[in-house]
Amino acid sequence: MPKMDRVVIKETKYMAAWVLILSAVMQAVFLVIGQWDYTVLLGNLLSATAVVGNFFGMAVGIQRALGKEEKDAKQAIRASNALRLFGMFAVLALGVLLPCFSTWTTVIPIFFPRVIVALRPLWDKKMGEEEHADES
Amino acid sequence: MELAIGLILGACALGAGLAMIAGIGPGIGEGNAVAKACEAIGRQPESKGAVTSTMLFGCVIAETTGLYALVIAILLIFVAPGRLVDLLVTTMAGL
Repeated sequence: MPKMDRVVIKETKYMAAWVLILSAVMQAVFLVIGQWDYTVLLGNLLSATAVVGNFFGMAVGIQRALGKEEKDAKQAIRASNALRLFGMFAVLALGVLLPCFSTWTTVIPIFFPRVIVALRPLWDKKMGEEEHADES
Repeated sequence: MELAIGLILGACALGAGLAMIAGIGPGIGEGNAVAKACEAIGRQPESKGAVTSTMLFGCVIAETTGLYALVIAILLIFVAPGRLVDLLVTTMAGL
């Protein structure tokens, strides 16, 4: 197995941490509106694991593709994307079909990475300002 | 009644198939992004970390489009037919 790039591990940890935070927020919302039961938790666990796994798969695929020629890299990423899409289809189908998983909490975490990326500039800016203040 | 149910199921399947056309785009986009990143890293090997990090999050955004389509397709295949047929049966029973 090839050695993991430091960036891949760092960004996967970042994504996993934020998915955990957003999942906790979602669980709290379900608890507050009185819709919480074990299916909500199981659906969230299934989907959050799939989202982080999908990101990790993408990061590893990119890391491998970066060492290849341009044309081979394109092909490798397309293959990786198709494979991950099938994986996500399987996970979503499981979550929607099996009654032990809540449909909503299976579907909602799929959109967490988009939210995390949208919030990242704010977070990075804040961190950058703090680092700048420390330096001065 | 059977014709209406058949139409509902057919339309849902067709809709799911059409939605998944959007799944093609992210693969092509990510492929192009990675190819250009290879070129950039080849030119400036010291910027590999920064390029990979930025590209990872760019790829997440590209991938989300495919996932939106996937969610719509899943809901059209597994959730919508049941709900729509139930709605049809309820409406027909009320008439």
